[in-house]
Amino acid sequence: MATIDGSSIKKLIVACDAGMGSSVMLASTLKKQLAKNGVTVEHSPVASIPSDADLVFTHTGLADRARHTVPDVPVVPFQLFLGDPAVAKIVKAIQNGETFEA
Amino acid sequence: MSNETDPTPASLSALLAETSIRLDLTASNKEDAIRQTGAALLEAGAIDASYTNAMLERERSVSTFVGEGVAIPHGTLSGKDSVINDALVVLRFPDGVDWDGNDVRVCVGIAARGNGHIALLSQLATVLLDPDRAAALRAATTSSLVYELLTPDPEDE
Repeated sequence: MATIDGSSIKKLIVACDAGMGSSVMLASTLKKQLAKNGVTVEHSPVASIPSDADLVFTHTGLADRARHTVPDVPVVPFQLFLGDPAVAKIVKAIQNGETFEA
Repeated sequence: MSNETDPTPASLSALLAETSIRLDLTASNKEDAIRQTGAALLEAGAIDASYTNAMLERERSVSTFVGEGVAIPHGTLSGKDSVINDALVVLRFPDGVDWDGNDVRVCVGIAARGNGHIALLSQLATVLLDPDRAAALRAATTSSLVYELLTPDPEDE
């Protein structure tokens, strides 16, 4: 766990296995929520998360694979593709330029 | 924005054919529902038969339940090779399907190599974050209502 400054997040990746379905839905939602904050949100298969990402959201079951792909990037696991509390908390911190733990 | 009210843009019906919207089905369990979703994608000419196994494999690693009574079965990264044409299907199970303890009423099956389906999935996310529209999708009995709900908002990219 590290304390992260929400305003330092400029590139957020939503990762899932194929990057075809669930991650696309979450990424599109986050894109709208974070458009005003200058955050680029992309979706990606876990095996090809770009190493210049500032933060990765991925399903709990894929978190280990995501950490293996980008060992230096904080990975936040979530359970629910829509409305997950862990995701909501971080979105709020980024919107408000506050710090969060990840 | 435009006041045109064409409920079904050509891009939407090309991706989600009217014959791929099936609103009165029953499934004995989750695997049955996924197999039916795979069969609908196969009939739509979207996949070869092996894709259904990739859908089942994906479901075993991470559930595709996304909330509000909706699951979006799709294949794995390796299953992408089994996709022939990008397409979506909408299957509704009015009696519900037990999805690891969640009650699923609608399966949106996805076969995609490219990114053409992103606007539609983005719209699906918008619908599911609005409890009234999510309930309307779960209760939909006509393909025109499904098209209306899933037509991407023109204000989105």
